[in-house]
Amino acid sequence: MKKIEAIIQPHKLEEVKEALKAIGIDGMTITEVRGHGRQKGHKEIYRGMEYHVDMLPKVKLEMVVPDARAEQVIQTLVQSARTGKIGDGKVFVYDVADAVRIRNDDRGEGAL
Amino acid sequence: MQNLSQSETLTRSNSVDEIVLAAFDRFELPVTAIAVGGYGRRELFPYSDVDLLLLNSGPLDPAAREGVSAFLRTLWDAGLRVSQSVHTAAECCVIHEGNLELTISLLDQRYLRGDASRYEQLTTAFPKFLNSQRGAIVAHLIQAARTRHAKYGGTIYHLEPDVKEHPGGLRDLHVIHWLRKMKSFETEPLDQVREQLFAVRSELHRFSRRDNNVLMFEAQEALSTDPANWMRQYYRNARQIFGAATRAINACEPVENSLFSQFRERRSRLSTADFTVSRERVLLRNPGQLTHDPSAATRLLLYVGRHGLRVAQDTMQRLTLMPSFAMTWPELRRLLALPHCVAALRVMAESGLLVKFIPEWSRIDCLVVRDFYHRYTVDEHTLVAIQGLEQLSGDQQSLRKRFAALYTEIDHRELLHFALLLHDIGKGDASGDHARQSSVIAQRVMERLQAPQEDRDTVLFLIEQHLALSSIMTSRDLNDGATARQISQSMGTIERLKLLTLMTYADVSAVNPTAMTPWRLEQLWRVCRIGLDEFTRALAADRIGAPDQADAQTSAFLEGFPTRYLRTHSPADIQRHQELARRPPGIALDRLNGTYQLTVITPDRQFLLASISGALASFGFNILKAEAFANRNGLALDTFVFADPNRTLELNPPEADRVRDTVERTILGKVMPPGSSASGAARFP
Repeated sequence: MKKIEAIIQPHKLEEVKEALKAIGIDGMTITEVRGHGRQKGHKEIYRGMEYHVDMLPKVKLEMVVPDARAEQVIQTLVQSARTGKIGDGKVFVYDVADAVRIRNDDRGEGAL
Repeated sequence: MQNLSQSETLTRSNSVDEIVLAAFDRFELPVTAIAVGGYGRRELFPYSDVDLLLLNSGPLDPAAREGVSAFLRTLWDAGLRVSQSVHTAAECCVIHEGNLELTISLLDQRYLRGDASRYEQLTTAFPKFLNSQRGAIVAHLIQAARTRHAKYGGTIYHLEPDVKEHPGGLRDLHVIHWLRKMKSFETEPLDQVREQLFAVRSELHRFSRRDNNVLMFEAQEALSTDPANWMRQYYRNARQIFGAATRAINACEPVENSLFSQFRERRSRLSTADFTVSRERVLLRNPGQLTHDPSAATRLLLYVGRHGLRVAQDTMQRLTLMPSFAMTWPELRRLLALPHCVAALRVMAESGLLVKFIPEWSRIDCLVVRDFYHRYTVDEHTLVAIQGLEQLSGDQQSLRKRFAALYTEIDHRELLHFALLLHDIGKGDASGDHARQSSVIAQRVMERLQAPQEDRDTVLFLIEQHLALSSIMTSRDLNDGATARQISQSMGTIERLKLLTLMTYADVSAVNPTAMTPWRLEQLWRVCRIGLDEFTRALAADRIGAPDQADAQTSAFLEGFPTRYLRTHSPADIQRHQELARRPPGIALDRLNGTYQLTVITPDRQFLLASISGALASFGFNILKAEAFANRNGLALDTFVFADPNRTLELNPPEADRVRDTVERTILGKVMPPGSSASGAARFP
């Protein structure tokens, strides 16, 4: 099993969800997050007051999928989340040791 | 039929008595059984605890202790949840620091069984003890009630209320009951509201099959066929209880002599010919005044809105009794522009003046909207939203201070407040689009109040669009120029964008205390920011071309001005400018909230802006803002906003003519502005 974690632009969320749904991925955890990548922050001046903008709003999606599906999910995510501009985000993939369904003790891929 | 639930709690208490007495008689116990707390009051709800006090004369020997245990086991086996304590009469008459629960439970005591002489000791000693400790106990009761109210946000309007602990719950009835045992003061009859609350709690306990006091959605649905209306009734009931409890607490509040209370007393300096302020509360000097002079109510509200004071109980009662209430649109605008307008709105809502003034308000009064996110009823959400803006002032938190700055920039916060007041009023309707429905109702209200068209347009725009920015925030690419263009086009003016940003801020923040996350704050600000950037960039570059204005005169005037001119000026401004342009040079000097505005329209020439600036500076004025536009016919429009730190214009009204005259001669090139020559420099500050 792989855990796939994607940080994407907020406005791309609906499109990404639709694309994942189309390939049969329904379960995911979505979090509104703030952070920055390589560009770091920038200073913004509004009416003479200086504001430091270092944390940009993004959306984080997390899902665990069977190994066999991982590549397809990653491709779908990347294609649907891409605008080609700076700040499009990243996808991280982790190995998952095990999964348990709390309700009935199902283990491994059967618990997904 | 009447007092069904109260007689039910009494019946349960009686049958518990039988069980307790029968069990007591089975064991030879060297203690005296006394019912205290709710059981002492003969108010036992299904599944509620049975509070027992066992009076002894000294430490119990092992045999007696075993007997007491067996007695209690018998009660548990009979299905009673007993909560017992064992004390001597002397122990009952001591203040237990930090824990007055025993003392308070003893306020409701009832002899059950056992050595009666021991009970007599208690009934002789306890009143003396109460007498000596009255002040401390009352202070404790008040403190505990205040802390409890604060813990639950000081509001009864929770969507899943706790019928015991929340403001307006059973505990508040107890507080009134206990305070009345300690002090004498008047309260309104509460039998009916008590009966209602008793009925709800009894049914809730039966539904939950335990002592559960949280009225969850699930229970609301199970206990009534029309949960929305049933809950409305619940809130109205709770509102009465909360009001009565607050009044009881205020009536019993000890007169403190602390530094803080002396400071608060200083506010009594605010007293006027109409009102006195005592202990943070406003009183009418002449109590009968409201009857023969209804406009005193408006003055009172303005006063409350200016100083953020509370209204004394007696005055509140008189407001409630007013047969009708109305304000003019200008009065309402004044009220809503005040720094504590929510305090005044709350007085209006609680006294019923708001419904008398805007009958449509009753649609959302205590209205529950059932979803996961909303914490408050619709009316409360509305007031919390406006309060959120009030509290923005001076907020230094890095994400919020930008909104705080925005709030100080807008010209008409009262229109924003009014739009918020009515933004959800359409929720009382079953149909889907509440923003649309709210704007229809708001339109009707403003027609009735004869609000000018310009104000109506702004308010209706804000209400109709109050969800627009939230949607852009989550669904549009903020780095895309098209999004920025769409924002600037749909908002129309910079002022509207600012107003709507603040409206969105207030609306989201008032959903629940954690709804406005840093994520949303940042995202909302970005939406506002890209919109503002678009306005300032595009508007300066865009020129008004072949205009679609109806009349040729307006077209000729506007042609060649940057689009920014249209976006930063109201139609009334534009019309005024046109009038000034008829006989150039047109010069107007107006007073504007503590500053002055000079508007000049004249054929453009080199150094025009500079020489007018010089003329103003020569009078010692401080220029705060200046704008210059020129149209295709070479007509220049310059506006200056300036402060008058020496109060020259205020103290010498004829000086205004001299300013106009100097400016005119400067424009026509007849004089060099005095400030530009060595001799005129004397007036510089």
